[in-house]
Amino acid sequence: MNSEKPVIDVDGLVVEYGRGKKKVRAVDDISFRVHQGECVGFIGANGAGKTTTIKVLMGFLFPRSGNVSVFGESAGTVDSRRRIGYLPEVALYYPFMKARELLELYGGLHGLSKTQLGEKIPRLLETLGLGGKSEILLKHFSKGMQQRLGIAQAIIAEPEALVFDELSSGLDPVGRHDLRSVLLELKRRGRTIFFSSHELTEVEALCDRVIMIHKGKIVTRATVQDLMKPLNVFEILFEIQDEKEMPGEVAKHSPVRENSLYRVLINDVEEYSRAVSALASSGARIKSTSSKSRSLEDYFIDLVEKREGKK
Amino acid sequence: MRSLLLISKSVLIEGVRRKEIYAIVLFSLILIAGVMSVDFFEIRGLTKFYREMALAIMSIATAITVIVLSCRQLPREFEKKTIYPLMAKPISRMIFLSGKLLGVLLSAAFCFLLFMIVYVAGTLYLGGTIPWMHFAEYIYLQMLMMTVLSTLGFFLSLVMNLDAAVTLGVIFYFTSSVFTTGITFIYEFMGLGGKTVLVVLNYILPQLTLFDLSGKILHSVQWPPLGWTTMAALTLYALLFSGVYYLFAILAFRRREL
Repeated sequence: MNSEKPVIDVDGLVVEYGRGKKKVRAVDDISFRVHQGECVGFIGANGAGKTTTIKVLMGFLFPRSGNVSVFGESAGTVDSRRRIGYLPEVALYYPFMKARELLELYGGLHGLSKTQLGEKIPRLLETLGLGGKSEILLKHFSKGMQQRLGIAQAIIAEPEALVFDELSSGLDPVGRHDLRSVLLELKRRGRTIFFSSHELTEVEALCDRVIMIHKGKIVTRATVQDLMKPLNVFEILFEIQDEKEMPGEVAKHSPVRENSLYRVLINDVEEYSRAVSALASSGARIKSTSSKSRSLEDYFIDLVEKREGKK
Repeated sequence: MRSLLLISKSVLIEGVRRKEIYAIVLFSLILIAGVMSVDFFEIRGLTKFYREMALAIMSIATAITVIVLSCRQLPREFEKKTIYPLMAKPISRMIFLSGKLLGVLLSAAFCFLLFMIVYVAGTLYLGGTIPWMHFAEYIYLQMLMMTVLSTLGFFLSLVMNLDAAVTLGVIFYFTSSVFTTGITFIYEFMGLGGKTVLVVLNYILPQLTLFDLSGKILHSVQWPPLGWTTMAALTLYALLFSGVYYLFAILAFRRREL
């Protein structure tokens, strides 16, 4: 556990919508922390409570109970927002403004000087694939272009932490690739990144840690490595004369006999290679080896279905 | 301060780029053309009346522009969700609201300025004179009235939907002068309870007619400009009402969930 003061600290957060009988608990007593330099994915189905949690982080919604702080400041205060770059779930920008003007507005609100803005804006637009579009009115921007501009406004002040609600919504594959490059660069530079996404491949590629939320409650929290480990399955089909000669490296994975063959499934790649070596030196005949990797998405769907009682 | 100016600049850009202000100016040009045609037909006795009408219509058009602009600022931000990236920046809700208010006032000033250029040009073209001191006081007081109306517009838009806020704002503007004049007229005929209600209303509702110096512009020969004490009192009067409406707007917006 990281002993440093967390960048994001959510403790017993409860958020409710509506009043009286129509009251709906959108987030139900969740707690988590995001530390400096971490990249954390916040995953959940629609209506799970992701956007609600992020809105509380930004001070757009007020919790029914619980404490939420950002950089040690209460969520929503001006000081807490000074160090955050935020991309909203639905990014629409003033259609009557030009891309440059919009970034001047948002960058200026973050305290960047005119000179700094003059240097940064063309570079940022270029990086995000909007080079040459600075003087075009935003009403002529496509959804994908707006999303790229949204990312530009979020990172223009080079904030210490980034909070993205639905990271790549509206982006085409090229846009996703560009965004991934930008985020990996920010991650390399030690920025803290917390984002929700439906694109679990993105989460796999970028995140150190994953928090899964379902119906307002956190159902899983793990490092991507730990989460992925059981999802990678290596299969060995082999033949052995005497079961008593089964190497310990294989036996501990409980091989199953199927006619004359044994089938063993191993999650860890190192244990898998040890098992293969042991079988080879014990004189067993290896018929085939294969790997079956389940994605984070499969895992997530399984988890949701189990929770819903469908499995 | 810079945040305030940046937000107000965005409001002004919207006003200018959406071309609504130009539509109003075009309307004023038609109006001035009407005044000129009156002179063209040498019905000189009516010229003054038409100029009075021109000033009144300019004032009304600017007031309606201000009401619509102020009422729609926040609902449009909520509807289009443009408020999220803006409020994610390190600015307080008060700065956001103040920036919007300043933007509306700058738009109103821009609109008024265009109107006045057209009006002055038309008057001079017709051979009339402009009593500049009266005219400056007129513009200043009109801007004070716009401040009252815009703060009211912001407040209304935070406690009701856009359509209702605009409707109520416009009704308030048109009835305030009739209502406050009516109060003095019917006061004598009311019972004690009625009189009390009227007195309360008299102090609660801003009397917008106080900000209209169009009569003085037209009859400047007979009446001198207002003294500074009167102007200061009117300024305080406008700031009091604006302050109260603005405070209500801040209170309504402070804990509003976005």
